[in-house]
Amino acid sequence: MTGLIGKRVPKLDAPKKTTGETRYLQDIELPGMLHGKILRSDRVHARIVRIDTDEAKALPGVHAVITAKDTPGVPLGHGKDNTPLKGDKVRCIRDEIAAVAAESEEIAEEALRLIRVEYEDLPAIFSPADALKEGAPVIHGKHPDNIPFRFDYAHGDVDAGKEESDIVIEDTFTLHFVTHCCMGVSGVIADFDSSGNLTLHSLTQIPFLFKKDISPVIGVPPGKIRVIQPVIGGGFGSKLDIYPFEPICVFLARAAKRPVRIVFTREEEFVASPTRQPVELTLASGVKKDGTLTFRDVRTLHDNGGYTSWGATTPFVIMQTISSLYRVPHCRYHTTVVYTNNPYSGSFRGYGNLQATFAVESHMDRLAEAVGMDPLAFRLHNAQEPGETTLQGMNFDTCGLRECLETASAKSGFLEKRRAYRSKQAGPVRRGIGIASLLHVGGGAKIYRTDGCGTILKLDDFGHATVMTGSTDIGQGSETVIAQFVAEELGIPISAINVVNNDSEITPWDVGVHASRTTFIAGNSALRAAKKAKDKLLAAAAKKADLSADGLDLRDGHVVDAATGKPIVELGKLIRSLHFTQRSDIVMTTEYYEPPSVMQDREFKGNVSASYAFGTQVVELEVDTETGIVRILKVTAAHDVGRVINQLGIEGQVEGGVVMGIGYATTEHLVVEEGVVKNPSFRDYKLVTAPETPEIDSTFIETIDPEGPAGAKGIGEAPAICISAAIVNAIHNATGVRFTELPLTPERVLRRLKEERE
Amino acid sequence: MERKIERYCVPGTVEEAVEAIAGKDATLFAGGTDLMVQTRSGKRPFTPLLVNISRIAGLGGISTDGDRVRLGALATISGIRTSALLKEKAGVLTEAADSFAGDQVRNKATVGGNICNASPAGDMIVPLLLLDAEVELASTAGRRMLPLCNFFTGPGKTRRERNELLTAIYFPIPPVGFAAGFRKFGTRPAMDISIVSVGVAATRDDAGWKNVRAAFGAVAPTPIRGTRTEAAIEKGGTAGEIARIAESEVSPISDVRASAWYRKELIRTLTERLHHDVFET
Ligand SMILES: Cc1cc2nc3c(=O)[nH]c(=O)nc-3n(C[C@H](O)[C@H](O)[C@H](O)COP(=O)(O)OP(=O)(O)OC[C@H]3O[C@@H](n4cnc5c(N)ncnc54)[C@H](O)[C@@H]3O)c2cc1C
Repeated sequence: MTGLIGKRVPKLDAPKKTTGETRYLQDIELPGMLHGKILRSDRVHARIVRIDTDEAKALPGVHAVITAKDTPGVPLGHGKDNTPLKGDKVRCIRDEIAAVAAESEEIAEEALRLIRVEYEDLPAIFSPADALKEGAPVIHGKHPDNIPFRFDYAHGDVDAGKEESDIVIEDTFTLHFVTHCCMGVSGVIADFDSSGNLTLHSLTQIPFLFKKDISPVIGVPPGKIRVIQPVIGGGFGSKLDIYPFEPICVFLARAAKRPVRIVFTREEEFVASPTRQPVELTLASGVKKDGTLTFRDVRTLHDNGGYTSWGATTPFVIMQTISSLYRVPHCRYHTTVVYTNNPYSGSFRGYGNLQATFAVESHMDRLAEAVGMDPLAFRLHNAQEPGETTLQGMNFDTCGLRECLETASAKSGFLEKRRAYRSKQAGPVRRGIGIASLLHVGGGAKIYRTDGCGTILKLDDFGHATVMTGSTDIGQGSETVIAQFVAEELGIPISAINVVNNDSEITPWDVGVHASRTTFIAGNSALRAAKKAKDKLLAAAAKKADLSADGLDLRDGHVVDAATGKPIVELGKLIRSLHFTQRSDIVMTTEYYEPPSVMQDREFKGNVSASYAFGTQVVELEVDTETGIVRILKVTAAHDVGRVINQLGIEGQVEGGVVMGIGYATTEHLVVEEGVVKNPSFRDYKLVTAPETPEIDSTFIETIDPEGPAGAKGIGEAPAICISAAIVNAIHNATGVRFTELPLTPERVLRRLKEERE
Repeated sequence: MERKIERYCVPGTVEEAVEAIAGKDATLFAGGTDLMVQTRSGKRPFTPLLVNISRIAGLGGISTDGDRVRLGALATISGIRTSALLKEKAGVLTEAADSFAGDQVRNKATVGGNICNASPAGDMIVPLLLLDAEVELASTAGRRMLPLCNFFTGPGKTRRERNELLTAIYFPIPPVGFAAGFRKFGTRPAMDISIVSVGVAATRDDAGWKNVRAAFGAVAPTPIRGTRTEAAIEKGGTAGEIARIAESEVSPISDVRASAWYRKELIRTLTERLHHDVFET
């Protein structure tokens, strides 16, 4: 034991990133590599009449120009309703029409300008409600009603729940478009060898599913595709699907017979990478006079945009919060997903849960007020206990919701401040404090028949370990956590560990980075592989020293006597003695960890995750009632994380998530007007900057999950989920006005405050 | 993209510079913080002749010149922000420089560039209007002075001729009793384009506030003086009355950053707050 668990361990990739040594996709130059650029539609819904590429092809330096007719047109993406290049019609502003590979980016851009496209505009749809109207334009012929998906979930009997209720409230919540804003823009390099083997330098979060998904689209068998992931400059879910630019790059490489790189411009990243799912959510909730929740009845309308990526499946997560954040005996949920000519959404940290929690936790405050309870007591009254199974079938083996609520409110002085801020405040600037909680998967999510991750662990002759893991590090710090687990188990320093996590030819299978699963699933996998290696080493040492393996342990690079700590043999020496003999052997182990969760049944019920994460955040803020500026002063967060593995990493996750959540609530807005993105730049798409970042006080509730690696649960998404609800609850405390629409830009806040005053 | 720069020149003196640009459609490069963004986005392509004016001797500097203050065209926003002279004589410029961009941009951005870029939201322009600044323009024909309040003709448009170089900005050293203030409103405290900006200034004598100046940014095609607001302040109206006059005096547009309605609201609120801070305390 080196005592690494729970310590402040700097991210292993941090020195290279901060000194500029890290090589990103943009830094990789293969010999003979060309630069690819994509011509995108400037129409939102139109028939393509003619595409003329003659002039572009004639431009010196251009090696390939392709359109839909040069490609097989196999559908791609989660909904298989998109093709790499569009030949017949375009359905949204980003649509890919043609692509060029040239000797420089400038030449490729010049060539794009020489391509002439003739369109015939079609009537378009910009709001989900319009998509449902009689006689609305049809966006995909396969779905004449514009509805590609519906989701229904229920438990209990909502009508009975309404009967039992003393108070029923209903609101419609409107959630907007935002996008991931990864510092590293999207991109890929496609490189064929003369035998037709394809290497993709890809930023995907799902290297193994990526191979399978892209294979039919490009007509290359998965066995001939190698995915190498350069250092990824942020994912947040945006790289969970395949997108048209990826097969396009392959088609260009094939046509030009040269490696081709496509890297987005920042503007392109805003226009043509996925967004968070915009949702209109109507929630009715009921409560008895004693403060017991009776029912939730939810209808949502999802703007799917022109095509289907993962955004369409956010109802899986939305319904978890609707059904199981607090005890709700009766629940009904319906989502209609409709096509429009807007941009389309993908997966994004929280995956629908920001939208759901905004509604549910706004209502928790309203219901508390209606029954005359304080928001904390009301939540505690309805909070689950450890050991409960929710009516959707989730087993809360551990559940720190109660401690989260109590800790965050006590540390922030929530109740006292709330009372104080409710009384009349002088001057235009008013203070408020608000609370909200969250539930999210913390032990993976079994959406495929396996939710597993493989590890290969190899110890060299000198006691250094190489951990080959299927899981990807997209900046979240999984490399460091995995190294910690292995170092701890093998009793070697973290500097003696190398994590290989970016080459599908070497690393074993994994589902991908999503559902806050990597520490839990890949961590368990690495830990178990290390345990196997440890068992082997101790058995070998015991045999040689004629001792019992039970009395031995690994510490400080040695096999030691577990009781006294006395070194018995140095690790490298032991390994060499196994290796350099007649019956030689090396120390290499494998593990495929499969969590004990199940896929949901047809009614969306079942224990989909091996563990669940909880959290509470309290926000204290100031509202300038004359300018509408909302200034966040302090966030007090308490998260049930099972067990802290890397204190530094987990604080970073919470702080990053809180800032992302504040952006979602107050400043970030991808402005889409008539299908066109109006603010594709960091000048007008307002990320939260350092001066607006409040003090963040994080407490970690350690419930020691029995299945988690060293007791840990996932934390990746959780910190971003409940803060927008805490913010509107705090604004209500400050001003008496309740907001149901995001973002809370100064203009929107001022307008509402004035309306209320008049 | 017409990025085809045929000639690049780096003059060392004003004479060389005006010679180089005479009769040509040159692109002048000072700090480049507007220019590079505009050329890259294709909004304003380079012309064939690129002239880097940033090495011209004597074109920078912040100094007094008799009863005037001189800001060299190449004076950077950082230079203005940290100038002891300005802090003492014209703190409103220090204030404006302090709310301008962030350190990296401030180190490069010049006051001449801010003025010649002629954005309605240019943050150095409003305080310079309060100070009755004049600009000095040089060409092969010699030098001429123009009051800053007559310099702008529209967004990105000025009375500077193509063959002229802006060399300096002058303003009278404010007298004893001078008070001024500037407020920029963006949706965040740093790195933001002004949604609106407001400045007021006046000199106090026994009878009250004289020589009142009010100016507004981002509410018209150019930064503007608010003459009716000035008159109301001089007459000694209440802050609320003055703020309503200011609101009625501006005609902002709606864009992706804010609606016209919101800009008017802000002009009223900020003018009222500024009046309170500058004239009532
Ligand atoms: C991230 C960022 C943040 C910013 N924040 C702000 C802000 O808060 N407030 C604000 O007002 N602006 C801001 N700007 C805009 C810009 O920095 C300023 O307008 C700056 O003062 C421009 O000066 P420059 O020296 O960089 O000009 P340049 O880009 O070099 O030139 C601007 C224009 O003026 C012309 N020009 C420059 N000098 C002369 C001269 N001496 N004679 C004739 N013509 C000349 C150039 O040809 C060009 O057309 C920001 C820009 C960026 C990129």
